[in-house]
Amino acid sequence: MILISFDIDGTLEEGDPPGILTIEFVREAKKGGFLVGSCSDRPISAQRAMWKRHGIDVDFAVSKHMLGDVKSRFAADVYYHIGDREDLDKRPAEQAGFEFLWPHEALEKPWG
Amino acid sequence: MAAVGIGHSPTFRRWDGTPENSVGGISLKALRRAIQDAGANPADIDGLVMDPSTTTGAFWPQGKPLPWDAINAYNRTDDPLDGITGLSADWILANMLELSGIGFTMYGVGCMSNAICVAAQAIGDGRAHTCLVLKSWHNLEGRYYQGGANAGNAIPGSSAIRSLWGTPACFGTAVQFAEYCRKYGKSHDMMAPFIENSRKNGLKFPEGYWAQHRPEEITPEDYAAARWIAKPANLFDNDMPIMVSAAYLFTTAERARHLKQKPVYILNHATSRTRPRGLTPTLDEVEEDTARTARKIYEGAGITANDLSFENMYDGFALFHQFHIEGLGYRGLKFGEALDFYQTDISISGPNPVSPSGGNIGCGRSRFWMHTDCIQQIQQRAGERQVTGVKPEVAVSGGPMPVGGNYMVWSATPD
Repeated sequence: MILISFDIDGTLEEGDPPGILTIEFVREAKKGGFLVGSCSDRPISAQRAMWKRHGIDVDFAVSKHMLGDVKSRFAADVYYHIGDREDLDKRPAEQAGFEFLWPHEALEKPWG
Repeated sequence: MAAVGIGHSPTFRRWDGTPENSVGGISLKALRRAIQDAGANPADIDGLVMDPSTTTGAFWPQGKPLPWDAINAYNRTDDPLDGITGLSADWILANMLELSGIGFTMYGVGCMSNAICVAAQAIGDGRAHTCLVLKSWHNLEGRYYQGGANAGNAIPGSSAIRSLWGTPACFGTAVQFAEYCRKYGKSHDMMAPFIENSRKNGLKFPEGYWAQHRPEEITPEDYAAARWIAKPANLFDNDMPIMVSAAYLFTTAERARHLKQKPVYILNHATSRTRPRGLTPTLDEVEEDTARTARKIYEGAGITANDLSFENMYDGFALFHQFHIEGLGYRGLKFGEALDFYQTDISISGPNPVSPSGGNIGCGRSRFWMHTDCIQQIQQRAGERQVTGVKPEVAVSGGPMPVGGNYMVWSATPD
Protein backbone atom coordinates (compact mmCIF):
# COMPACT_ATOMS: atom_id res chain seq x y z
CA MET A 1 0.00 0.00 0.00
CA ILE A 2 1.22 3.49 -0.89
CA LEU A 3 0.06 6.62 0.90
CA ILE A 4 0.43 10.01 -0.78
CA SER A 5 0.01 13.30 1.05
CA PHE A 6 -0.45 16.40 -1.11
CA ASP A 7 0.43 19.93 -0.15
CA ILE A 8 -2.00 22.36 -1.85
CA ASP A 9 -0.60 25.88 -2.28
CA GLY A 10 2.24 25.88 -4.80
CA THR A 11 1.75 22.17 -5.41
CA LEU A 12 -1.73 21.48 -6.80
CA GLU A 13 -3.34 23.40 -9.64
CA GLU A 14 -5.95 24.57 -7.11
CA GLY A 15 -3.23 26.14 -5.01
CA ASP A 16 -2.48 29.77 -4.34
CA PRO A 17 -0.11 30.03 -6.20
CA PRO A 18 -1.15 27.23 -8.53
CA GLY A 19 1.18 24.25 -8.72
CA ILE A 20 1.82 21.82 -11.55
CA LEU A 21 -0.03 18.80 -10.17
CA THR A 22 -3.56 18.46 -11.47
CA ILE A 23 -6.61 17.35 -9.54
CA GLU A 24 -6.82 14.59 -12.12
CA PHE A 25 -3.44 13.35 -10.91
CA VAL A 26 -4.89 12.97 -7.40
CA ARG A 27 -8.04 11.34 -8.75
CA GLU A 28 -5.95 8.79 -10.65
CA ALA A 29 -3.91 8.01 -7.53
CA LYS A 30 -7.12 7.38 -5.61
CA LYS A 31 -8.48 5.22 -8.41
CA GLY A 32 -5.20 3.32 -8.40
CA GLY A 33 -5.89 2.19 -4.85
CA PHE A 34 -3.49 4.52 -3.07
CA LEU A 35 -4.31 6.16 0.22
CA VAL A 36 -4.46 9.88 -0.63
CA GLY A 37 -5.10 13.10 1.23
CA SER A 38 -3.93 16.64 1.80
CA CYS A 39 -1.58 18.18 4.30
CA SER A 40 -1.75 21.93 4.02
CA ASP A 41 -1.83 25.22 5.91
CA ARG A 42 -5.34 25.74 4.61
CA PRO A 43 -8.08 25.24 7.20
CA ILE A 44 -9.02 21.58 7.42
CA SER A 45 -12.64 22.45 6.64
CA ALA A 46 -11.48 24.25 3.47
CA GLN A 47 -9.39 21.25 2.43
CA ARG A 48 -12.38 18.95 2.87
CA ALA A 49 -14.60 21.36 0.94
CA MET A 50 -12.09 21.43 -1.93
CA TRP A 51 -12.00 17.63 -2.21
CA LYS A 52 -15.78 17.42 -1.98
CA ARG A 53 -16.08 19.97 -4.78
CA HIS A 54 -13.96 17.72 -6.95
CA GLY A 55 -15.76 14.56 -5.92
CA ILE A 56 -12.64 12.93 -4.48
CA ASP A 57 -13.17 10.96 -1.30
CA VAL A 58 -9.78 11.53 0.33
CA ASP A 59 -8.56 9.44 3.22
CA PHE A 60 -7.30 12.40 5.26
CA ALA A 61 -7.10 16.19 5.32
CA VAL A 62 -4.78 17.58 7.96
CA SER A 63 -2.75 20.62 8.94
CA LYS A 64 0.86 21.02 7.92
CA HIS A 65 2.40 19.68 11.10
CA MET A 66 0.25 16.55 11.33
CA LEU A 67 2.03 14.13 9.01
CA GLY A 68 3.11 12.08 12.01
CA ASP A 69 -0.55 11.60 12.95
CA VAL A 70 -1.31 10.46 9.41
CA LYS A 71 1.44 7.90 9.60
CA SER A 72 0.13 6.51 12.86
CA ARG A 73 -3.45 6.34 11.54
CA PHE A 74 -2.75 4.51 8.28
CA ALA A 75 -0.72 1.38 7.69
CA ALA A 76 1.20 1.63 4.42
CA ASP A 77 4.38 0.24 2.94
CA VAL A 78 5.60 3.63 1.89
CA TYR A 79 4.53 7.17 2.73
CA TYR A 80 5.06 10.08 0.35
CA HIS A 81 4.51 13.78 0.88
CA ILE A 82 4.55 16.02 -2.20
CA GLY A 83 5.15 19.71 -1.62
CA ASP A 84 6.92 22.85 -2.78
CA ARG A 85 8.68 24.15 0.31
CA GLU A 86 11.95 23.05 1.88
CA ASP A 87 11.01 24.31 5.34
CA LEU A 88 7.30 23.54 5.43
CA ASP A 89 7.13 20.36 3.33
CA LYS A 90 10.44 18.58 2.85
CA ARG A 91 11.86 18.90 6.35
CA PRO A 92 8.69 18.00 8.30
CA ALA A 93 7.93 15.16 5.88
CA GLU A 94 11.33 13.61 6.42
CA GLN A 95 11.06 14.13 10.18
CA ALA A 96 7.74 12.27 10.14
CA GLY A 97 9.26 9.36 8.24
CA PHE A 98 7.79 10.23 4.85
CA GLU A 99 9.62 10.17 1.58
CA PHE A 100 9.51 13.60 0.02
CA LEU A 101 8.89 14.50 -3.62
CA TRP A 102 8.88 17.89 -5.30
CA PRO A 103 5.87 18.26 -7.64
CA HIS A 104 7.95 17.73 -10.78
CA GLU A 105 9.43 14.57 -9.27
CA ALA A 106 5.94 13.29 -8.56
CA LEU A 107 5.03 13.82 -12.21
CA GLU A 108 8.12 12.00 -13.44
CA LYS A 109 7.83 9.06 -11.06
CA PRO A 110 6.40 5.85 -12.53
CA TRP A 111 3.61 5.18 -10.01
CA GLY A 112 2.28 2.01 -11.58
CA MET B 1 -14.18 67.07 9.40
CA ALA B 2 -15.77 64.09 7.72
CA ALA B 3 -15.11 61.10 5.52
CA VAL B 4 -17.11 61.35 2.31
CA GLY B 5 -15.60 58.80 -0.08
CA ILE B 6 -14.13 55.32 -0.05
CA GLY B 7 -12.13 53.61 -2.78
CA HIS B 8 -10.62 50.14 -2.71
CA SER B 9 -8.51 48.36 -5.30
CA PRO B 10 -8.96 44.69 -6.05
CA THR B 11 -6.81 42.40 -3.89
CA PHE B 12 -4.10 39.97 -4.97
CA ARG B 13 -1.94 37.57 -3.05
CA ARG B 14 1.15 38.73 -4.94
CA TRP B 15 2.02 41.10 -7.79
CA ASP B 16 1.52 39.46 -11.19
CA GLY B 17 3.99 41.76 -12.93
CA THR B 18 1.42 43.78 -14.86
CA PRO B 19 1.49 47.58 -14.73
CA GLU B 20 -2.19 47.87 -13.74
CA ASN B 21 -1.71 45.58 -10.75
CA SER B 22 1.51 47.17 -9.54
CA VAL B 23 1.25 49.01 -6.26
CA GLY B 24 1.17 52.26 -8.21
CA GLY B 25 -1.54 50.97 -10.52
CA ILE B 26 -3.81 49.77 -7.75
CA SER B 27 -3.27 53.01 -5.84
CA LEU B 28 -4.51 55.07 -8.78
CA LYS B 29 -7.56 52.82 -8.95
CA ALA B 30 -8.33 53.24 -5.24
CA LEU B 31 -7.87 57.02 -5.34
CA ARG B 32 -10.12 57.45 -8.38
CA ARG B 33 -12.76 55.23 -6.85
CA ALA B 34 -12.75 57.30 -3.64
CA ILE B 35 -13.20 60.51 -5.61
CA GLN B 36 -15.99 58.96 -7.67
CA ASP B 37 -17.66 57.52 -4.57
CA ALA B 38 -17.79 60.97 -3.02
CA GLY B 39 -19.02 62.58 -6.23
CA ALA B 40 -16.21 65.12 -5.91
CA ASN B 41 -14.48 67.11 -8.62
CA PRO B 42 -10.79 66.05 -8.64
CA ALA B 43 -9.77 69.65 -9.26
CA ASP B 44 -11.39 70.66 -5.95
CA ILE B 45 -9.11 68.37 -3.94
CA ASP B 46 -6.24 70.27 -2.34
CA GLY B 47 -4.59 67.69 -0.06
CA LEU B 48 -2.93 64.28 -0.28
CA VAL B 49 -1.77 62.28 2.73
CA MET B 50 -0.26 58.85 2.23
CA ASP B 51 2.25 56.31 3.47
CA PRO B 52 5.26 56.05 1.14
CA SER B 53 6.15 52.59 2.45
CA THR B 54 4.17 49.80 0.82
CA THR B 55 6.10 46.70 1.81
CA THR B 56 4.53 43.77 3.61
CA GLY B 57 8.06 42.55 4.25
CA ALA B 58 8.80 41.92 0.57
CA PHE B 59 11.64 43.83 -1.10
CA TRP B 60 12.87 43.87 -4.69
CA PRO B 61 15.56 41.16 -4.74
CA GLN B 62 19.10 42.40 -5.19
CA GLY B 63 20.35 41.67 -8.69
CA LYS B 64 16.92 40.89 -10.11
CA PRO B 65 16.29 42.87 -13.33
CA LEU B 66 13.96 45.78 -12.80
CA PRO B 67 10.43 45.45 -14.25
CA TRP B 68 10.87 48.14 -16.87
CA ASP B 69 7.60 47.41 -18.69
CA ALA B 70 5.65 48.23 -15.53
CA ILE B 71 7.94 51.12 -14.58
CA ASN B 72 7.66 52.77 -17.97
CA ALA B 73 3.91 52.30 -18.20
CA TYR B 74 3.57 55.30 -15.90
CA ASN B 75 5.15 58.70 -15.47
CA ARG B 76 8.10 57.85 -13.25
CA THR B 77 10.20 59.62 -10.64
CA ASP B 78 13.97 59.39 -10.07
CA ASP B 79 13.48 56.10 -8.19
CA PRO B 80 12.61 53.38 -10.74
CA LEU B 81 10.95 51.27 -8.03
CA ASP B 82 8.62 54.13 -7.10
CA GLY B 83 5.19 52.65 -7.84
CA ILE B 84 6.57 49.10 -7.61
CA THR B 85 7.95 48.62 -4.09
CA GLY B 86 7.20 52.04 -2.68
CA LEU B 87 5.08 55.03 -3.48
CA SER B 88 5.80 58.74 -3.34
CA ALA B 89 3.38 61.63 -3.50
CA ASP B 90 5.33 62.83 -6.54
CA TRP B 91 4.57 59.55 -8.33
CA ILE B 92 0.86 59.83 -7.55
CA LEU B 93 0.64 63.42 -8.70
CA ALA B 94 2.63 62.67 -11.86
CA ASN B 95 0.08 60.02 -12.74
CA MET B 96 -3.12 61.76 -11.65
CA LEU B 97 -3.04 64.96 -13.62
CA GLU B 98 -6.69 65.51 -12.77
CA LEU B 99 -5.53 66.41 -9.25
CA SER B 100 -4.65 69.90 -10.41
CA GLY B 101 -5.42 71.70 -7.14
CA ILE B 102 -3.15 69.87 -4.69
CA GLY B 103 -1.37 72.36 -2.44
CA PHE B 104 -0.68 70.15 0.56
CA THR B 105 1.01 66.76 0.71
CA MET B 106 2.26 64.95 3.78
CA TYR B 107 3.30 61.43 4.67
CA GLY B 108 1.54 59.53 7.42
CA VAL B 109 4.06 56.80 7.87
CA GLY B 110 3.28 53.30 9.10
CA CYS B 111 -0.27 52.57 8.21
CA MET B 112 -3.65 54.02 7.33
CA SER B 113 -4.38 54.79 10.97
CA ASN B 114 -1.54 57.29 11.07
CA ALA B 115 -2.39 58.70 7.65
CA ILE B 116 -5.98 59.30 8.80
CA CYS B 117 -4.76 61.17 11.88
CA VAL B 118 -2.44 63.32 9.76
CA ALA B 119 -5.20 64.11 7.26
CA ALA B 120 -7.78 64.84 9.96
CA GLN B 121 -5.37 67.18 11.72
CA ALA B 122 -4.42 68.87 8.44
CA ILE B 123 -8.04 69.66 7.68
CA GLY B 124 -8.64 70.73 11.28
CA ASP B 125 -5.67 73.07 11.06
CA GLY B 126 -6.86 74.51 7.75
CA ARG B 127 -3.88 73.22 5.77
CA ALA B 128 -6.25 71.53 3.32
CA HIS B 129 -10.01 71.52 2.96
CA THR B 130 -10.47 68.35 0.89
CA CYS B 131 -7.88 65.66 1.30
CA LEU B 132 -7.23 62.23 -0.17
CA VAL B 133 -5.81 59.66 2.24
CA LEU B 134 -4.02 56.66 0.77
CA LYS B 135 -2.46 53.44 2.00
CA SER B 136 -1.19 50.73 -0.34
CA TRP B 137 0.60 47.44 0.08
CA HIS B 138 2.70 45.41 -2.32
CA ASN B 139 3.61 41.76 -2.00
CA LEU B 140 6.06 39.94 -4.24
CA GLU B 141 6.71 36.29 -4.95
CA GLY B 142 8.67 34.31 -2.40
CA ARG B 143 8.85 34.58 1.35
CA TYR B 144 8.51 37.89 3.15
CA TYR B 145 10.71 39.27 5.94
CA GLN B 146 13.64 37.54 4.20
CA GLY B 147 14.88 40.53 2.21
CA GLY B 148 15.67 44.15 2.99
CA ALA B 149 17.58 44.72 6.21
CA ASN B 150 17.02 41.11 7.25
CA ALA B 151 19.17 39.92 4.34
CA GLY B 152 22.14 42.06 5.36
CA ASN B 153 25.15 41.24 7.48
CA ALA B 154 24.42 44.03 9.94
CA ILE B 155 21.16 45.42 11.28
CA PRO B 156 20.95 48.81 12.96
CA GLY B 157 19.21 49.67 16.22
CA SER B 158 17.23 47.33 18.46
CA SER B 159 16.37 45.19 15.43
CA ALA B 160 19.92 43.86 15.78
CA ILE B 161 18.76 42.07 18.90
CA ARG B 162 15.22 41.17 17.84
CA SER B 163 16.00 40.00 14.31
CA LEU B 164 19.35 38.43 15.06
CA TRP B 165 17.73 35.64 17.02
CA GLY B 166 15.11 35.07 14.39
CA THR B 167 11.85 35.37 16.29
CA PRO B 168 8.78 35.62 14.08
CA ALA B 169 6.94 38.93 14.01
CA CYS B 170 4.17 37.67 16.31
CA PHE B 171 6.61 36.63 19.03
CA GLY B 172 6.14 39.72 21.21
CA THR B 173 2.37 39.45 21.11
CA ALA B 174 2.61 35.72 21.84
CA VAL B 175 4.67 36.46 24.95
CA GLN B 176 2.11 39.02 26.12
CA PHE B 177 -0.76 36.64 25.43
CA ALA B 178 0.95 33.81 27.33
CA GLU B 179 1.28 36.08 30.34
CA TYR B 180 -2.34 37.20 29.90
CA CYS B 181 -3.51 33.57 30.01
CA ARG B 182 -1.39 32.88 33.08
CA LYS B 183 -2.52 36.02 34.91
CA TYR B 184 -6.22 35.61 34.24
CA GLY B 185 -6.52 31.82 33.97
CA LYS B 186 -7.50 31.82 30.29
CA SER B 187 -6.48 29.61 27.39
CA HIS B 188 -5.68 29.95 23.71
CA ASP B 189 -8.72 27.94 22.59
CA MET B 190 -10.93 30.70 24.04
CA MET B 191 -9.83 32.79 21.03
CA ALA B 192 -11.64 30.47 18.61
CA PRO B 193 -14.98 32.35 18.59
CA PHE B 194 -13.17 35.60 17.82
CA ILE B 195 -11.29 34.04 14.91
CA GLU B 196 -14.42 32.34 13.58
CA ASN B 197 -16.42 35.57 13.88
CA SER B 198 -13.70 37.64 12.21
CA ARG B 199 -13.45 35.38 9.20
CA LYS B 200 -17.25 35.21 8.91
CA ASN B 201 -17.41 39.00 8.89
CA GLY B 202 -14.52 39.17 6.43
CA LEU B 203 -16.29 36.87 4.02
CA LYS B 204 -19.08 39.46 3.98
CA PHE B 205 -16.59 42.17 2.99
CA PRO B 206 -16.56 42.10 -0.83
CA GLU B 207 -13.44 44.29 -0.95
CA GLY B 208 -11.44 41.76 1.07
CA TYR B 209 -8.98 39.11 -0.08
CA TRP B 210 -10.68 36.06 1.41
CA ALA B 211 -14.09 37.06 0.05
CA GLN B 212 -12.62 37.67 -3.40
CA HIS B 213 -10.29 34.70 -3.74
CA ARG B 214 -10.69 32.02 -1.11
CA PRO B 215 -14.04 32.04 0.69
CA GLU B 216 -12.85 29.82 3.53
CA GLU B 217 -14.27 29.94 7.02
CA ILE B 218 -12.12 29.11 10.03
CA THR B 219 -13.98 26.78 12.36
CA PRO B 220 -12.96 26.13 15.98
CA GLU B 221 -11.67 22.74 14.78
CA ASP B 222 -9.54 24.43 12.11
CA TYR B 223 -8.20 26.86 14.68
CA ALA B 224 -7.35 24.16 17.17
CA ALA B 225 -5.53 22.14 14.49
CA ALA B 226 -3.38 24.99 13.16
CA ARG B 227 0.37 24.83 13.65
CA TRP B 228 2.14 27.13 16.06
CA ILE B 229 4.09 30.06 14.68
CA ALA B 230 5.29 31.24 18.10
CA LYS B 231 3.36 29.30 20.72
CA PRO B 232 0.75 30.35 21.85
CA ALA B 233 0.30 32.20 18.53
CA ASN B 234 -0.78 29.87 15.75
CA LEU B 235 -1.07 30.29 12.00
CA PHE B 236 -4.58 31.77 12.11
CA ASP B 237 -3.62 34.30 14.75
CA ASN B 238 -1.47 35.84 12.03
CA ASP B 239 -2.70 37.77 9.02
CA MET B 240 -1.73 37.05 5.43
CA PRO B 241 0.17 39.64 3.36
CA ILE B 242 -1.59 40.72 0.19
CA MET B 243 -1.52 43.46 -2.43
CA VAL B 244 -4.23 46.03 -1.87
CA SER B 245 -4.83 49.75 -1.78
CA ALA B 246 -7.48 51.91 -0.13
CA ALA B 247 -8.20 55.59 -0.29
CA TYR B 248 -10.57 57.88 1.54
CA LEU B 249 -11.68 61.39 0.78
CA PHE B 250 -11.95 63.68 3.78
CA THR B 251 -13.30 67.20 3.79
CA THR B 252 -14.68 69.82 6.13
CA ALA B 253 -18.09 69.29 7.69
CA GLU B 254 -19.42 72.19 5.68
CA ARG B 255 -18.19 70.88 2.31
CA ALA B 256 -19.25 67.34 3.18
CA ARG B 257 -22.88 68.41 3.17
CA HIS B 258 -22.72 69.05 -0.58
CA LEU B 259 -21.21 65.70 -1.60
CA LYS B 260 -22.86 62.44 -2.59
CA GLN B 261 -22.45 60.24 0.49
CA LYS B 262 -23.64 60.69 4.03
CA PRO B 263 -20.73 62.32 5.91
CA VAL B 264 -19.10 60.32 8.68
CA TYR B 265 -17.51 62.71 11.12
CA ILE B 266 -14.23 62.18 12.94
CA LEU B 267 -14.83 63.33 16.49
CA ASN B 268 -11.25 62.78 17.62
CA HIS B 269 -7.96 61.15 16.89
CA ALA B 270 -5.44 59.96 19.44
CA THR B 271 -1.95 58.54 19.33
CA SER B 272 0.15 56.25 21.50
CA ARG B 273 3.91 56.65 21.19
CA THR B 274 4.77 55.06 24.53
CA ARG B 275 8.27 53.63 24.73
CA PRO B 276 8.33 50.32 26.55
CA ARG B 277 11.18 49.63 28.95
CA GLY B 278 12.35 46.62 26.95
CA LEU B 279 12.23 45.33 23.41
CA THR B 280 8.79 43.82 23.96
CA PRO B 281 6.23 45.61 26.13
CA THR B 282 5.19 43.63 29.18
CA LEU B 283 1.53 42.84 29.78
CA ASP B 284 1.48 45.47 32.53
CA GLU B 285 2.81 48.08 30.11
CA VAL B 286 0.24 47.03 27.49
CA GLU B 287 -2.65 47.38 29.90
CA GLU B 288 -1.40 50.69 31.24
CA ASP B 289 -1.05 52.07 27.72
CA THR B 290 -4.36 50.86 26.31
CA ALA B 291 -6.12 52.42 29.29
CA ARG B 292 -4.24 55.68 28.71
CA THR B 293 -5.11 55.60 24.99
CA ALA B 294 -8.77 55.03 25.82
CA ARG B 295 -8.80 58.05 28.12
CA LYS B 296 -7.36 60.17 25.31
CA ILE B 297 -9.84 58.79 22.79
CA TYR B 298 -12.88 59.42 24.98
CA GLU B 299 -11.81 62.76 26.39
CA GLY B 300 -11.02 64.24 22.99
CA ALA B 301 -14.25 62.98 21.46
CA GLY B 302 -16.37 63.97 24.44
CA ILE B 303 -17.83 60.50 24.74
CA THR B 304 -17.69 57.50 27.06
CA ALA B 305 -17.43 53.78 26.41
CA ASN B 306 -21.21 53.63 26.68
CA ASP B 307 -21.52 55.70 23.51
CA LEU B 308 -19.77 53.14 21.30
CA SER B 309 -22.13 51.36 18.91
CA PHE B 310 -19.37 48.90 17.99
CA GLU B 311 -15.60 48.62 17.90
CA ASN B 312 -13.15 47.98 15.08
CA MET B 313 -9.79 47.91 16.78
CA TYR B 314 -6.86 46.29 15.01
CA ASP B 315 -6.37 42.54 14.96
CA GLY B 316 -3.31 41.69 12.94
CA PHE B 317 -2.19 39.79 15.34
CA ALA B 318 -5.45 38.41 16.63
CA LEU B 319 -3.99 37.81 20.07
CA PHE B 320 -3.82 41.52 20.88
CA HIS B 321 -7.35 42.51 19.93
CA GLN B 322 -8.51 41.87 23.50
CA PHE B 323 -5.85 44.26 24.83
CA HIS B 324 -7.35 47.04 22.71
CA ILE B 325 -10.96 46.45 23.71
CA GLU B 326 -10.24 45.85 27.39
CA GLY B 327 -8.35 49.15 27.48
CA LEU B 328 -11.37 50.80 25.89
CA GLY B 329 -13.69 49.21 28.42
CA TYR B 330 -15.87 48.21 25.49
CA ARG B 331 -19.23 47.04 26.88
CA GLY B 332 -17.84 47.45 30.37
CA LEU B 333 -14.98 45.00 29.88
CA LYS B 334 -12.24 44.99 32.47
CA PHE B 335 -8.76 43.56 32.01
CA GLY B 336 -8.86 39.79 31.74
CA GLU B 337 -12.51 39.60 30.68
CA ALA B 338 -12.42 39.74 26.89
CA LEU B 339 -11.91 36.05 26.23
CA ASP B 340 -15.01 35.24 28.29
CA PHE B 341 -16.79 37.98 26.35
CA TYR B 342 -15.80 36.19 23.12
CA GLN B 343 -17.81 33.19 24.26
CA THR B 344 -21.01 35.32 24.10
CA ASP B 345 -22.75 36.73 21.01
CA ILE B 346 -20.16 39.00 19.37
CA SER B 347 -21.71 38.78 15.91
CA ILE B 348 -22.89 41.64 13.73
CA SER B 349 -26.49 40.74 14.54
CA GLY B 350 -26.04 40.86 18.29
CA PRO B 351 -25.90 43.73 20.79
CA ASN B 352 -22.11 43.58 21.19
CA PRO B 353 -20.45 43.45 17.74
CA VAL B 354 -16.74 42.73 17.88
CA SER B 355 -14.64 43.65 14.83
CA PRO B 356 -17.53 43.76 12.35
CA SER B 357 -15.03 44.47 9.58
CA GLY B 358 -13.45 41.08 10.13
CA GLY B 359 -10.16 42.93 10.27
CA ASN B 360 -6.95 41.50 8.88
CA ILE B 361 -7.96 38.01 9.99
CA GLY B 362 -11.11 38.23 7.91
CA CYS B 363 -9.83 40.18 4.91
CA GLY B 364 -6.01 40.00 4.65
CA ARG B 365 -3.22 42.28 5.80
CA SER B 366 -4.05 45.91 5.13
CA ARG B 367 -4.64 47.58 8.50
CA PHE B 368 -7.52 49.54 6.97
CA TRP B 369 -10.58 47.28 6.81
CA MET B 370 -11.55 48.55 10.26
CA HIS B 371 -11.70 52.16 9.07
CA THR B 372 -13.63 51.39 5.90
CA ASP B 373 -16.07 49.35 7.94
CA CYS B 374 -16.68 52.13 10.46
CA ILE B 375 -17.49 54.53 7.63
CA GLN B 376 -19.66 52.05 5.75
CA GLN B 377 -21.52 50.91 8.88
CA ILE B 378 -22.39 54.46 9.88
CA GLN B 379 -23.43 55.24 6.32
CA GLN B 380 -25.55 52.06 6.33
CA ARG B 381 -23.52 50.85 3.32
CA ALA B 382 -21.96 47.73 4.84
CA GLY B 383 -24.26 45.39 2.91
CA GLU B 384 -24.37 41.86 4.29
CA ARG B 385 -21.97 42.96 7.00
CA GLN B 386 -24.27 45.70 8.30
CA VAL B 387 -24.67 45.54 12.06
CA THR B 388 -28.27 44.90 12.98
CA GLY B 389 -28.19 44.47 16.75
CA VAL B 390 -27.14 48.07 17.38
CA LYS B 391 -27.78 51.41 15.73
CA PRO B 392 -24.46 52.40 14.09
CA GLU B 393 -23.84 55.91 15.38
CA VAL B 394 -20.42 56.05 17.06
CA ALA B 395 -17.49 53.73 16.44
CA VAL B 396 -13.82 53.48 17.24
CA SER B 397 -11.02 52.04 15.13
CA GLY B 398 -7.26 52.12 15.10
CA GLY B 399 -3.97 50.42 15.63
CA PRO B 400 -1.74 48.77 14.88
CA MET B 401 -0.18 47.90 18.20
CA PRO B 402 -1.73 48.23 21.64
CA VAL B 403 1.46 50.11 22.57
CA GLY B 404 2.14 52.35 19.60
CA GLY B 405 -0.67 53.28 17.29
CA ASN B 406 -3.21 55.79 16.08
CA TYR B 407 -6.92 55.72 16.81
CA MET B 408 -10.02 57.58 15.74
CA VAL B 409 -13.67 58.04 16.69
CA TRP B 410 -16.23 58.05 13.88
CA SER B 411 -19.73 59.47 14.27
CA ALA B 412 -22.97 59.90 12.38
CA THR B 413 -23.24 63.40 13.76
CA PRO B 414 -20.64 66.16 14.08
CA ASP B 415 -21.00 66.59 17.86
